[in-house]
Amino acid sequence: MTREKMGNILVWILIIGFGVWGFPGILDRFANAHAHTAYGSYIPWGLWISAYIWLIGLSAGALMISVMTYVFNVEAVKKVGKMAFLVAIATLVGAMIAVGLDLGHPLRAFKLIFDPNLHSMMGWMAVLYTAYFVTLCVELYFAIKKEQVFGVKQKSVKKILTVLGIWSIPLAFAFHGGVGGVFANVVAKPFWHGPMLPIVFLAGAFLSGGALFATVAYIWRPSQNKEEFLKMMIFLGKTTLALLILDEILELSEVYVGTFYSAYGEGNLWQQILFGQYWYTFWIVHILIGVLIPLLLLTLKSKSPRAIALAGLLIAGSFLAVRLNIVIPGMLDPGFAGIAQAWVHSKLTFSYLPSIVEWQVLFFIVAIVMAVFMLGKTILPIYQTAGDE
Amino acid sequence: MSKEELPEVGDNLTLETDESRRDFLDKFSKGIFGGLIAGGIVNALAPVHAKANMDGSNLNFSTPFKPFELPPELTGEDAILRMMRDLQKALKKPIEQRHWNMVIDLRKCVGCDACSVSCVAENKLPPGVIYRPVIQQEIGTYPNVGHVTLPRPCMQCEEPPCVPVCPAEATWKRPDGIVIVDYDQCIGCRYCLTACPYDARTFDFGEEYIDGAADAPKVFLGKEKAGKYETDPSYEYSKEWKREGEKSPIGNARKCHFCIPRIEKGMLPECVVTCIGRATYFGDGSDPESLVAELIALPNAFRLKEEIGTHPSVYYIK
Ligand code: SF4
Ligand code: SF4
Repeated sequence: MTREKMGNILVWILIIGFGVWGFPGILDRFANAHAHTAYGSYIPWGLWISAYIWLIGLSAGALMISVMTYVFNVEAVKKVGKMAFLVAIATLVGAMIAVGLDLGHPLRAFKLIFDPNLHSMMGWMAVLYTAYFVTLCVELYFAIKKEQVFGVKQKSVKKILTVLGIWSIPLAFAFHGGVGGVFANVVAKPFWHGPMLPIVFLAGAFLSGGALFATVAYIWRPSQNKEEFLKMMIFLGKTTLALLILDEILELSEVYVGTFYSAYGEGNLWQQILFGQYWYTFWIVHILIGVLIPLLLLTLKSKSPRAIALAGLLIAGSFLAVRLNIVIPGMLDPGFAGIAQAWVHSKLTFSYLPSIVEWQVLFFIVAIVMAVFMLGKTILPIYQTAGDE
Repeated sequence: MSKEELPEVGDNLTLETDESRRDFLDKFSKGIFGGLIAGGIVNALAPVHAKANMDGSNLNFSTPFKPFELPPELTGEDAILRMMRDLQKALKKPIEQRHWNMVIDLRKCVGCDACSVSCVAENKLPPGVIYRPVIQQEIGTYPNVGHVTLPRPCMQCEEPPCVPVCPAEATWKRPDGIVIVDYDQCIGCRYCLTACPYDARTFDFGEEYIDGAADAPKVFLGKEKAGKYETDPSYEYSKEWKREGEKSPIGNARKCHFCIPRIEKGMLPECVVTCIGRATYFGDGSDPESLVAELIALPNAFRLKEEIGTHPSVYYIK
């Protein structure tokens, strides 16, 4: 069996498995709205918002691969630009579902597309995601019809793709830096507030998205000869390694500033992240699975496509823990000591562990993301066309 | 006052403006508990849930105020009466010329939670939604210990960080300083909850106090009847809100609004009139002759988290 076939079977099994397990959660979300979620009023955002920034980050990272293809003409990834668009679209769809299900009145959110509050970072998000979605679709369209579109010469199509690619650079910076801004601009939450977060978000997005793409490209590689394939994988491996190091430098700086004088400011929150109840999300899921093992794979086995793909999968998957460790700790500090005891209710507490329903919905969303990718891959001519030559 | 004469919740007991003072005082003289009179007036003068126009067009501006007669001013009268006079005076001004302030005297607050509970009753707040919790804290170490109680309504910030973050422009500051939520516009993203430094916003998760209650209609009162109190509409923002299904205010951010429907009928906010320690004051801070303006000027008046620049409209005295 070819690698692609095996990948197809495995992913469809996962789609069905996640879908079946997650479906009751989706039903519950529609039947009981937010009743069975673990977030409340003092920790208003939980797993779904973390999943949203995780997925949107993956999307932004995949977009950057396409920019390398169509703007910087990077030889190693010249055949996978379309696939990068597809990954970006699938993860964007997942991100939008995650944030949509998190809303109290999801249907009202559509009005934001036409009438957003531009004083609000979240209002900007509505505009930017719309622009991003349209850009992605147009880019994919032109990428597929690269030879001749409605009589336009191939050369002009290439130009269009380059222009669109250039446009997507500031767009990616805006929409993902902007997601960082959604948090960084909240003065009431010192853990989020500050100029670092948008940059941290961007670095994390490019890392996780690039890493995911290494796995995707490994399994569903376009028709290449062995040498081309190896070149592509090594390039993706190197890019991932560089971004991993950059991301870790940023994280180290954050941990160091946050903990050096641990008695002040955010020290307490960092204590909770590092040594609190959920220490394992940081040390095991993030540091061990998401950093150390991939680091070893990417350095010691830097020429093995399989090792690079595995490293990519570990980084991309475990990045949800990174997102959770940004979103949740920011809300753990009460505005006033004793407020949770002033009026006692399960939605008025300062602790958070996602509920089963939240996990089910998340897995269902991941199944949708994978299904969109798989169907897109089947329906659209993602693999090499004449224009790629 | 006999049971028959007690106003029913929701009864329309508005007094005619030309009612003679004698009649008016006559009504009061029936009161047995003198200390309760002042608080009683407030609820007797108008329906508890003052319905104004129901189309929501008054979310932004007040409905015209019909003044009613108050007893003659006496020296040493209850602060409630003084505040009601201040309120009437303020309501005669255009909305943009008044600024509602609240002052909470921490030395007088006994931490009884009457304000929290009455607010829940007035606004029909469901479980998990609270506008005015009373935070209690033990301070010091034995044997030198103390107890601090801090009622925390929405601060109605002059620079409210909860407002610009709203992607749907569903929350804003009225010209009189009250920060409101337009339930019909709110998408329930909860961004404003994270942005409020005072944790003053809570989300309506759709729960009801009677959830899970036993239901045996013929055997005892039954869930439905017992829950009528909850299923009846509330009149926040002078509009009828019936909580059912996923209809607003379910799925929305909710917060204290200084009881706008009451203010607009000339009544003080519910927490002010139910405060057993007379620790909560309310009025037009832009009127230098008002009681709150006097209190705000005290050297021991302060505001919470002043350093972040929100300029709260709620002051505390310690
Ligand atoms: S206290 Fe909070 S909810 Fe109230 S106006 Fe200020 S920021 Fe907004
Ligand atoms: S929860 Fe409602 S009021 Fe608050 S920011 Fe979101 S849309 Fe605006």
